Amino acid sequence: MNLKKYLSLTRAGIIESLQFRIAMLVMFAGNLLYLTVIYFLWRSIYASSGSEVVNGMTFSDTLIYLVLATALFGFMEMYAVWEIGRAIQSGKIVLDLLKPMPYRRYLFWSYSGSFVVNFFTIFLPTFIVVAIVTHGAIHMGVNLLYFVLAVVMAVIINYSIDFIVGTICLYTESIWGINIMKQVIVLLLSGATIPIAFFPEPLKTIVSYLPFQSIYNAPLTLLLDSGQDAVSAIKVLGVQLIWCIVMTVISKLFWKASLRQITVNGG
Amino acid sequence: MKKRGLGFYLRIYFRILAQDLKSKMSYRADFIISTIGMIFTNISGFVSFWILFRNFPSINGWGYYEILFLYGFSLVSLTPVQCLFDNNWSLRMYVYSGDFIKYCFRPINLFFYYQSEVFDIKGLGQLAFGIGTIVYSWGRIGLELTPLMLIKLIVFLITASLIMIALQNMAAALCFWMQNSFFVLDFVYRFRDYAKYPVTIFSPVFRFIFTFIMPIAFIAYYPSLVILRPGEVPILSWLSPLMGCLFFFLSYKIWMYGAMKYSGTGS
Repeated sequence: MNLKKYLSLTRAGIIESLQFRIAMLVMFAGNLLYLTVIYFLWRSIYASSGSEVVNGMTFSDTLIYLVLATALFGFMEMYAVWEIGRAIQSGKIVLDLLKPMPYRRYLFWSYSGSFVVNFFTIFLPTFIVVAIVTHGAIHMGVNLLYFVLAVVMAVIINYSIDFIVGTICLYTESIWGINIMKQVIVLLLSGATIPIAFFPEPLKTIVSYLPFQSIYNAPLTLLLDSGQDAVSAIKVLGVQLIWCIVMTVISKLFWKASLRQITVNGG
Repeated sequence: MKKRGLGFYLRIYFRILAQDLKSKMSYRADFIISTIGMIFTNISGFVSFWILFRNFPSINGWGYYEILFLYGFSLVSLTPVQCLFDNNWSLRMYVYSGDFIKYCFRPINLFFYYQSEVFDIKGLGQLAFGIGTIVYSWGRIGLELTPLMLIKLIVFLITASLIMIALQNMAAALCFWMQNSFFVLDFVYRFRDYAKYPVTIFSPVFRFIFTFIMPIAFIAYYPSLVILRPGEVPILSWLSPLMGCLFFFLSYKIWMYGAMKYSGTGS
């Protein structure tokens, strides 16, 4: 695999996303407002519960979890469903298919530039602020290594899900509806809106068998749970790896099978 | 220009509406999937409250069914902006491409004609879900059902939706002055997610902001107090119909001012 041609896509992506500075600023303000609402909501939830620890999580645990989940979302979400859907509707997909690399890989690498930018502008600042404000609630040790590994796999799983859902657009001609369904399911069942620790028992069991919890819940619990041993951490990473492989294979096969179906108007 | 009556505008509205629905119906799959997607979003809001209240008995003195009432109320009051004013999202494109000029040459009210061109049907799924939630929580709280209560409910639902319409109009009208106003519109759109919480959970500073600067507390909280807590209705609740009309009028004026002043691209 010749890495150079992929890295040139990364470079183009970085330059492209640096063009939209005002958009970034507004997005930043929106995130800040969202986090403010989250803060006050959970503060009053914990205040009315009367106990410090609920389901093994204190108020600051929950808050760090949700803040970092938002930061992760800001950096992982790549709107691939929209990109694929629009490419199909406009006919641009014909040109993309002619590129000297598989479409699935092309799309991933053309997004990798915005990964880099979002990592440095959204995730890293949030992480540092959280680490400083909470005075070492984030344990600095081997868990950081687990976290990085988990995030890399989370990105791959998330991309594969996006790609599968984007492929469905080949059949439905509907982007908005398909995308909103995906987003709602992923955000709720991955624990990005409410930590999975709060889910009632049967739901927790169901969720643990689905790929979604590997996207947000797995990296965040690996990062925040300082008392874990290496075996349980490796177990979580192993589950992630299995999902990584399964989702990648499914998305590749589904795309291959669907490509024969494609009907494109013009181009 | 001759003054036209309400009957004239209503007749014209339904004629334009019929055309729009006909064109939408040619993409039937998209319509069905979008409606399901909309209902998915609403159900996920419902489920997150359900999960929260499995762990905590109340939020800031508000019980499960009262919060559900707020949620249902916000869903219903957000329906008009979704259904009737959806064309605001395209305004930026029309102004940018120069196509907006076609609206300026029609012998009817510019704002009316522009907004009537699109009717977003998927909002109806949200309306149904919202009404269901209100009815369900109404029964569980044990509120009595009198004609007076019903009138109050309807009046306050209308005023609440006027506020959101006004906010969206103003955000959309920004595109007459600046480019790339999508992010402002998206920013305002995300407000609706925060409208479903009682404003008392916030600190005084944010309570002030959410009441007077970004008046999202008027979308569900202040109007619902009239029905849920008739004993402790603040003066702001009674003022909300006035606020709603005032805000709407103001946004209409700003929108029209922008439409008269903007410097369009040629076409």
